[in-house]
Amino acid sequence: MPCERKPMRYGHSEGHTDVCFDDAGKYIVTCGSDGDVRIWESLDDDDPKSINVGEKVYSLALKNGKLVTAASNNTVQIHTFPEGDPDGILTRFTTNATHITYNRSGSRVAAGSSDFMVKVVEMYDSSQQKTLRGHTAPILSVTFDPKDEFLASASCDGSVAVWKIEEQTQVTSWPLLQKSNDVINAKSLCRLAWQPKAAKLLAVPVETTVQLYQRDSWAQVGTLSDDLGTQAINVVAWSPCGKFLAAGSIGGLLTVWDVESKLCVERQKHEKGYTVCGLAWHPSGGQIAYTDTEGCLGVLDGLSSSSSSSSTTASSTTTKVSLWSYMKASPSHPNGLDKFVDDDDAGSAIVPPAAVAAPLRPVYDGPMPTPPQKAFQPGSTPAHLMHRFMMWNSVGIVRGYNDDQDNAIDVEFHDTAVHHAMHLTNSLGHTVADLSQEAVLLACPGTDELASKLQCLHFSSWDTNKEWMVDLPKGEDVQALCLGQGWAAAATSALILRLFSIGGVQRELFSLPGPVVCIAGHGEQLLVVYHRGTGFDGEQALGVQLLQFGQKRRQVIHGEPLPLSRKSHLSWLGFTAEGTPCFIDSEGVVRLLNRSLGNMWTPVCNTRDNCKGKSDHYWMVGVHENPQQLRCIPCKGSRYPPTLPRPAVAVLPFKLPLCQTTTEKGQMEEQYWRSVLLHNHYGFLSSSGYEIDEEGQSQAQKEQQELLMKMFALSCKLEREFRSVELAELMTQNVVTLAIRYASRSHRMALAQRLSDLALEKANQLQGEEPQEEEEEEPLQYTRRNTGSHRQAQEEEVDEEQGQEEHMDEGDVAESKRQGKSRESLSISSPTPLISCISGLGRSGSAGGQNRVTNVLDSMMSSSKKPTALLSSSGSTGKLNKTPFLKPLAPRPKTKTQSTLLHMNAPKAANKKAAEEREPAVCKLKQTEAPPPASPAENVENKKHKSGFQLWLEDNRRIILADNPDLEETDVIKEAIGRFRTLSADDRLTWTERAKGQSGDVADMKKRKRGEEESRGDKNGQSEADETSAKKKKPVDTSAKLSAFAFNKN
Amino acid sequence: MDPSEVEFLAEKEVVKIIPNFSLDKIYLIGGDLGPFNPGLPVDVPVWLALNLKQRQKCRIVPPEWMDVEKLEEIRELERKEDTFTPVPSPYYMELTKLLLNHASDNIPKADEIRTLVKDIWDTRIAKLRLSADSFISQQEAHAKLDNLTLMEINTTRSFLLDTLNCMYKLRSNLQPGSSGGKAQDHQ
Repeated sequence: MPCERKPMRYGHSEGHTDVCFDDAGKYIVTCGSDGDVRIWESLDDDDPKSINVGEKVYSLALKNGKLVTAASNNTVQIHTFPEGDPDGILTRFTTNATHITYNRSGSRVAAGSSDFMVKVVEMYDSSQQKTLRGHTAPILSVTFDPKDEFLASASCDGSVAVWKIEEQTQVTSWPLLQKSNDVINAKSLCRLAWQPKAAKLLAVPVETTVQLYQRDSWAQVGTLSDDLGTQAINVVAWSPCGKFLAAGSIGGLLTVWDVESKLCVERQKHEKGYTVCGLAWHPSGGQIAYTDTEGCLGVLDGLSSSSSSSSTTASSTTTKVSLWSYMKASPSHPNGLDKFVDDDDAGSAIVPPAAVAAPLRPVYDGPMPTPPQKAFQPGSTPAHLMHRFMMWNSVGIVRGYNDDQDNAIDVEFHDTAVHHAMHLTNSLGHTVADLSQEAVLLACPGTDELASKLQCLHFSSWDTNKEWMVDLPKGEDVQALCLGQGWAAAATSALILRLFSIGGVQRELFSLPGPVVCIAGHGEQLLVVYHRGTGFDGEQALGVQLLQFGQKRRQVIHGEPLPLSRKSHLSWLGFTAEGTPCFIDSEGVVRLLNRSLGNMWTPVCNTRDNCKGKSDHYWMVGVHENPQQLRCIPCKGSRYPPTLPRPAVAVLPFKLPLCQTTTEKGQMEEQYWRSVLLHNHYGFLSSSGYEIDEEGQSQAQKEQQELLMKMFALSCKLEREFRSVELAELMTQNVVTLAIRYASRSHRMALAQRLSDLALEKANQLQGEEPQEEEEEEPLQYTRRNTGSHRQAQEEEVDEEQGQEEHMDEGDVAESKRQGKSRESLSISSPTPLISCISGLGRSGSAGGQNRVTNVLDSMMSSSKKPTALLSSSGSTGKLNKTPFLKPLAPRPKTKTQSTLLHMNAPKAANKKAAEEREPAVCKLKQTEAPPPASPAENVENKKHKSGFQLWLEDNRRIILADNPDLEETDVIKEAIGRFRTLSADDRLTWTERAKGQSGDVADMKKRKRGEEESRGDKNGQSEADETSAKKKKPVDTSAKLSAFAFNKN
Repeated sequence: MDPSEVEFLAEKEVVKIIPNFSLDKIYLIGGDLGPFNPGLPVDVPVWLALNLKQRQKCRIVPPEWMDVEKLEEIRELERKEDTFTPVPSPYYMELTKLLLNHASDNIPKADEIRTLVKDIWDTRIAKLRLSADSFISQQEAHAKLDNLTLMEINTTRSFLLDTLNCMYKLRSNLQPGSSGGKAQDHQ
């Protein structure tokens, strides 16, 4: 069956097209998405007649001089043919008709529409309509039974149905197709065709095959397929004789089958491989016209089917594969595949010349850019959920509901003491939220009419206006927001970060280097993560900035890359409760900023290690360093928790990914470095003027030293002396002494010798550093002393003296040594407690187990004893500091509880101090006019120079020694403490006052010191402020005292 | 033993609560509790949980077994087996009653759980009666019943003991000569 493929020609603008012949076969009629119907006399017709029938034409049918078209105005129109005059409207749908067809006689038209209906309309009387309902998706195609009894239709709901027209009922239905929601998205147009004349078979294109169904039995009787056809068939058409079936596919393959033998008799490929969407057989059966989705018209000529019915049997065995090449006119492919044509291949239906493939396009297979992750709020679930968490943090939960009945926001606080729960109607459509102890911050994106809005519910405000709102400039949307202490920040789509005060004053704004991913606030710190550039192969390129407001405004991290795991994105960003930046990526790795290692990020946990299932995740809600907790919500099989049932928080431990953590050594190393890392925040907090938990700090240090000691012992056991020395280098001086003892007891004299060298070196180092340290660390220490002292009442000062050796950080050691020196200068004969302790240690452990000084290890173990043992009266105050949230020094909510305790004046003093620290300048003024009143807490400051007990000790040392001449130095101190405590409170007070006075007049050394300090103060304004406030602690007059008292009472 | 005493014992069981207040560790004779952090689950005895709940200071997290699916499983198993099956908690009945009465708003599907636990209880009590019946009718000297909870023993104890006493008296009062026939009749 030889045929000739004529070159294609342009017919319509690109889009869906359809084609048919007129009754006589004289004209080819096409329609297209340009709304025209064109009447071609032949393919070579250079001036086809155009009839405009609408904006777009989806389908057309022609018979008896009546042209029926389905246009985009939802009507089915009639035009006369070939004149093209409008001849009325046949029917209407609620949306456009997708396919129309005539019955054989041309008395009826069937039309299928996107509104799921099929209508059968009489041509002579359009009011006679039959509607076939039953499809549940847009109709793809319709076809009439040539005997006018049935009608077949295909729909996007995946079914092909056969209807009895008269009864308007469905006879049968097959679920053959892939479901889709619209004709445009359907995989195939699925143009059905009913065999003409015999009307026995219904052809249904299903994927790459055509299935044949038998009339009446409705059983599948055959399948026509072609091995070369790899893409879905779009349209099928029967030859007028009913013996051949032509099919056009998505890939542009045209196939003709002999239905009888089910063999492929003709195969042609569209010259450009475009989708064939219209196919019509010439009434004579010798020609096929087809159109494609690019609007081109083509013709296959020379099919001699019906005329040579006798020869078909012969020719059916001979398959001719004509592969045609590119347009002859195309200069770019002169001879490429041109004469691939006409190779007869008898016996085999398949000749797969691989070279037919579409022309090669240059293929890029390098790294592909990753779509940048969208901005999000840490601790929120995705915005498309109807019920979602807009924020879950350590303060509370903000839930958003957006369903049919309700668009609302619920705010709930974990601690009901902060505020009661709130329910807001979300009329503005807020999508992002943040929550702090002071306020709720909400924001909505802008719409066409409304600008993006930022709303703040400042519930902690003391006036009656608890709410403010800000409109952003047109076209600028809030993408991320956060709350800090006393400020709010919003990052917008204009790459601007806007700062607001919590009361609604607009503050600074600055530009971001890239589109924001998320921001987080804590205290006076702001953490911003943004897109630094484009990531490739699944990676994100994120940058991070850490800014610090408050007194010294500075940028701590200047846009360094954020280290995410491979092929992951950021999933949570925030601060630990102690204020250390922290983030989690989608691989579940938690990373913490290591401030002591040049602001590097250290992985501290992999939450996925704790998951049971592969698709389980942990959804982070908070990180705490003390106690070491990762608070998160386990989500089974998802990344996000549902709002109901209410998810429960779980606590995960930190675990540094150190090597060999199954061994004892690895475990201890992990514990040690974790402890070091997670106690970094003490340094940060004290340097930025926050109150810190001194007890916790010393405990942590003890823990660390204890671990070092254990590791030391372990490596000694393993005969690793070099390693032991390495470990000893990490130890503080006191513990090195212990290590020496351990080494000498286990008869490792070489090790002991090295260690004692090391201890000596450390001691020298300390002394060498001393002047420097005084300069650098003193302000810091002052702050710490001050802040700590408020809860330590008078007796503790005694304990401070005695327990000083327990403060093992070098700063403290240095300080006490300095103390010691000053004391030595006064009375050289009396060595300081600390030095004596060390020497005592060095000699032997004879001093007995109850002496905490001698048995450092013991004291490290039972560290909690310290505050309670001696502070029986004020002991409970020490325990109040467990609250996980940061407490700035200035507002002191704790004083309420403290006021109930015995020492009313201690919190009072703390209050005063707090007030002073807020306004150091005022304090200084006051200090000049007011003489220092005697408040016990003040002594704590002075003890730096000399405390009451020390003075008393100096005076009474002789007496004690005389009474008990055989006492060791440490025991002398113990005895002294006992005696000092037996003194009446008044006596002690006099001593402490004397100590104060002495610091003023007796020691000229002190004066020199102060001079030094003042000259230093010029250099550093901050430290001066700290120092002066620390030194001149007590300038508050009685009325201020009273008012402070009143405040406590309330 | 009074049922209220058994309930008192059950109140020592530990449940998880989510407090909405902040409090440091509290030191009690029975052990230390806390620290209480708002929003963070913490284990406390039932009596404290209920007390806090009544003061609206916390939400109670229902025990793991207090879940419709798990209870349905247990119920089916209990119905299938002739012997007593292990119960999820030695105080399941008391805990269900206490928690559902005081904190039903914190327990999803509270009504279903109540019905399920009641079903389990009924099944077990029926078994208990049945075994008591066969114990007496076969005049056994001893019997072994595993997996019984205190509350279940308690419901049957006084009645069973009194009955046995009574029957013993009746039997011992009978004349030895006629006892055989009469006793048999009695049974």
